[in-house]
This record gives sequence, C-alpha cells and structure tokens, in this order.
Amino acid sequence: MPWSNQDGPRRPGGQNPWGPPGPWGGGPGGGQGGTPPDLEDLLRRAQSRLQGAMPGGFGAKGLIAFLLAGVLLWLLSGFYIVATNQVGLNLVFGKFVGKTKEGLNYNLPYPIGSVVKLGVTDFNAIDVGSAMRLDTRTQVDIPEESLMLTGDENIADVKFRVIWKIDDQKPEDYAFNISNPPATVKAVAESAMREIVGRSQIQKLLTAERKVIEPQSQELMQRVLDGYRAGVKIMQVQLLSVDPPASVISAFRDVTAAQQDRDRLKNEAEGYANKVVPEARGQAARILQEAEAYREQTVAESKGQASRFSQVYEEYKKAPQVTRERIYLETMERVFGAVDKVIIDKGAGQGVVPYLPLGEISRPSAPAGGSK
Amino acid sequence: MKSSFGFVVAIVALAILAALSGAMFQVAQTEQALVLRFGAPVAGRGLITEPGLHFKIPLIETVVRIDNRILDLESPKQEVIAADNQRIDVDAFVRYRIVDALKFYQAAGSVRAANNFLASILNSSVRRVLGEATQTQIVRDDRSALMAKIKAQVNNESLNYGIAIIDARLRRADLPREISEKVFSRMQSERKREANEYRAQGNEQYQKITSRADRDAIVIKAEAQQQADTTRGKGDAERNQVFAEAFGKDPDFFAFYRSMQAYDQSFKAGDTRFVTSPTSDFFRYFGNPTGK
Repeated sequence: MPWSNQDGPRRPGGQNPWGPPGPWGGGPGGGQGGTPPDLEDLLRRAQSRLQGAMPGGFGAKGLIAFLLAGVLLWLLSGFYIVATNQVGLNLVFGKFVGKTKEGLNYNLPYPIGSVVKLGVTDFNAIDVGSAMRLDTRTQVDIPEESLMLTGDENIADVKFRVIWKIDDQKPEDYAFNISNPPATVKAVAESAMREIVGRSQIQKLLTAERKVIEPQSQELMQRVLDGYRAGVKIMQVQLLSVDPPASVISAFRDVTAAQQDRDRLKNEAEGYANKVVPEARGQAARILQEAEAYREQTVAESKGQASRFSQVYEEYKKAPQVTRERIYLETMERVFGAVDKVIIDKGAGQGVVPYLPLGEISRPSAPAGGSK
Repeated sequence: MKSSFGFVVAIVALAILAALSGAMFQVAQTEQALVLRFGAPVAGRGLITEPGLHFKIPLIETVVRIDNRILDLESPKQEVIAADNQRIDVDAFVRYRIVDALKFYQAAGSVRAANNFLASILNSSVRRVLGEATQTQIVRDDRSALMAKIKAQVNNESLNYGIAIIDARLRRADLPREISEKVFSRMQSERKREANEYRAQGNEQYQKITSRADRDAIVIKAEAQQQADTTRGKGDAERNQVFAEAFGKDPDFFAFYRSMQAYDQSFKAGDTRFVTSPTSDFFRYFGNPTGK
C-alpha cells in the first residue's frame, strides 16, 4: 500500500530539475511519442516487483521525507542577494524573464534558472591615448591611439577618458544585445573623437575648442552606442590633454613664449613711455617755473635797484658835487681796502714792473682803469 | 535477484534521463538556434529565435547555436591611397548581427569564418570607397558620409552570409609614419614662422612706443622751453623798462653811480691785485694835503 503513494512524490521529485510539468505534457509533441508508454510500463513493472521484494513502511517513508527535504533545499537555493549598486537579471532556461532590484531576490535555482548581476551604478573609465601600467602604476602613452589628424592636416596628440556606465533602464541590452561592450565603447569612443578632431583646426583645438569637444564627442558616442542598443550611458568625456605631438611641442611652446615676448616688449615699452613722458612733463614744469622765477626775480631786482637809485638820486640832487665825491671815495675805499695793492711811483716803476710775478695776477688792470 | 533488479532499474532510469537530456536544449538570451535533422533544417521549427527551453529528437536532430548579439569585427590597419594620391592608414570596424541564421550557417558556418569573409569584404570596401575620396574628405569633410557608404557596400555583400551590418566606422585614419614626420616638420616650420612674427611684432611695438614717448618728451620740454624763454624775455623787458624809467632821470649820474656799483662788485679780496700809480685821482691828497 505505501508503495502506491510513493509513485506521486517520486515523480515530481525526479522531474523537478527539468522544470514544471508543462513540458512533460507537451513532451510527446517533441517527437518522443514512443517513449512514454515504455516508461510507464517499466515503472509499473518495477513497482510491482519492489512491492514484493521490500515490505516494511519505515524505509519508504524515510526515503520520501529525504527526497522532499532535498527538493525543498534545492528550491531554497534560489534566493540570492543583489547589492545596492547592482541590478539582477533573471534567466530561466537561458531566457531573460525579468529584472530584480537590490536586496533579497528569488529565481529558480540551477540548472533551471540563473542570475546575471550587473553593477549599473558603477562608473567605468576607458582611457584612450594612455594606459595605466599595472606593474609600475604609471601612465604610459600610446601614440597610435592619441595622435590624430586634424582638419587642417596637422596632427594633434589627444588623450581622453570616457566615463560610462551600464544604462540602468536597459541593463538587458548591455547583457544580451551586444558582445564585448567595453571594447565596443572604446572603439566607438576612438572613432567619434577622431571624427570630431578631424573637423577641427589644430590651433582652435589647442585653445578655445577644447571645451566644445567634450560634449560634442560625448553626444556622438552616445548616438552611435544607442544605435547599437548597447545599454551603455556615456557619463562624461574628459580631455586629459590636447597637445601638439611630442616632437613639435617645443615649437608650439616657442610660439607661446614668443607671444609672451611680444607682450613683454610692449609692456617694457609702455613702462619706458610711462617713465619718460611724465619725467619730461616734470622737467617742463621745472623749466617753466624757473623761467617764471627768473622773470619775477629780474623784475623785483630791477625795481629794487631802480628804487635804490631813485632814492640816492633824490639825495644827490640836493648836493650833487658832495654826494658824487663821497660815493666815489667810499667805493674806492671799499675796493682798495679789500684787494692786494702794489703802488708804484712813476719814476721807480720803470725798473720794477718787469720783475713783478705777473703770473699771480689774474687780471692785470691798467692803473688808469681804476682811477678814471 | 533483488539487488540485480534494483540495478537494472537504476540503469533504465539513467538511460531515460540521458534520452530526456538529449531531447531538451536551452537557447540563451544571446542566441538563436538551428535545429537540423541530418544536416537539414527541420521544417516548421528549424529556426528558434525565442530563448528558453526547447526540444528535439535525440540523436537524429542536432542543434546549432548562433550568436544573436551585435558582434564586432575590427579590421587591421591598412594603407589606402586616396583620390589625391595621399596615403592614409585606416583602421575600420563593423558591428554586425546575424539576421539569417540558416544562410549564415550554410555560407559561413561559424563566427570565426564569417569574420574572415567580412574582413576581406570590409577591407576592399574601405579601399574602394576611400580611394574615391580625397584626404580632406576622409579626414574632415565627408567622414560620416563615407562611413555610411562603406556600411552600405559591406551590408550588400554580407547579406549573402545572413549578416546585416549595423554600423561601419573608421576608427582611425592616420598618415603613415614617414608622412607624419613630414607633417611634424611642416608644423614646426609653421610655428617657427608664427613665433618670429610675434617677436617681430613685439619689437615693432617696442620701437613705436618708445620712440613716440621720446618724441613726446622732447616736444614737451621744447614747448616748455619756448614758453620759458618768452617768460624770461618778458622779465628782461620789464626790467629794462623799469631801469630806463628810473635811470633816465639823470643819465650822467646813472653812469657814475652804476660804475661805482660795478667796481664794488668786480674787485673782490683775494683775486685782485692792483698795480697802481699814486698819481691817480684817488691819490691826489697822497702827497699833497691840498689836493693840487
């Protein structure tokens, strides 16, 4: 009797790994029409023989309990955890059936179901033109990647970084629609950047257009990747460096230096001008002031002298002869009182004059000059 | 007898399981599958595009899985000669999808084989399309149009392999190394020219500004001098006028008075030595108290 019951639990237990009973019903349609009768027949015969061979209920009940526990455990193994930065993609028989969010989730366990977890909030970076060497932790340049032709047939050395993440709206595209997404992002990034750099001129690239290139290339990359339905969001394009190629960089720097030289010379010249012109204005003011001073001094002196003369003259008019004589004598007194004098009588002078140390006389004056 | 029967049951069960597993197969989300009976697709269910669990007849039918994703193919660098005879190194890539799995299976068989076919199609198309364009068109003006043209051409041929081209792009279009060197030296000379120009401009401005400043300084001082001289002249004129007014009252006395002042000022102690005769008028009382 127990064995008739055994038939029930055993079958689901055996079938479960292969999925719900549905396919079994449809199984014959799959082209195995001949097999099921054989199977049932076999089972029935095996059952009847076992029934005869192994009486006793305990062993059978234990077996059922054991199988049930196994099934339960297997079902429980379908729980999994999705971390906060992830999204889970449930697959049943390889078919994508739904997304799960962070926390505890369930999907049918292996081998029926499986889960793909994607870090959808993680930012990924791809460097183009340089790469981090893992052993030395230094940036290594990759000129094949970074040297690009510009629209004016020059070559620019452009290194950039693309920050991207899996589109959290469409993680299934990322997981199932495209092979090797990171390589695709890189290829598209390089292609897009070169397309944009190819439209620019090197001087503008090196200066004003840098700002424009980042959003432009980001937009182009996103457009191409959306065309692939890649499930990738380009968050940012960062230009790490836009330089002339290494072998001509000194020439470019010299241009900058020359510009600075030009500005420096201009500043120096303006500095000179700013010094010279005000100085000249200062000197001009001095010249004017001196002239003004001369005029006033001259006028004042002349007025003073005229006034003095007028006053002396008023006195002189009262007694002309006496005053004239007095002025003469007083003047001579002062003149002769101060200077060195040699008085030579007419007769004696004949012999002496030749011996006088005339070199010491700075201005020989005629004796008559002083007296007349 | 009991144990041997159990053994038989186990064998049979295993055989059934094996048969069942041979009858079922999964098609992953990233795949499509062909079900073939003796190499030919099974009528009605030969192509499975829906992922999930599927069935077939064990042993008789086989399953070929074919990638359903967008696949990538990178062509290695090749040199292209543009219409203006410029040589350009081009890297191109395509992104494609297998749209006709049966055709793909029959014509190519595997992705690897298909990549070989595609690579040669791509390379020849790149050469053909870019060969008709000039370098500036390739690099600057018509890049996206040329890429679209390559895509269309490759797509045309790849459809024979059941492959649709999603996109074809030029990853790089560079000058070959030796031409790059020439570009570098041209860039250098251009920059040198530019730097010289800047320096010359700097000198020009320096000369202009300093000479202008010098000129301004000289003019300012000269104008000041002119004004100063006018002022001095005015002073002198006024002086003359004042003197003329005062001294005109008695020219004779003025001559005497002014001479006396001049003597006073002219003969200073120390630098003057008089050799004089006692006969001068000053000495008229020198030898004679009467003065006669």
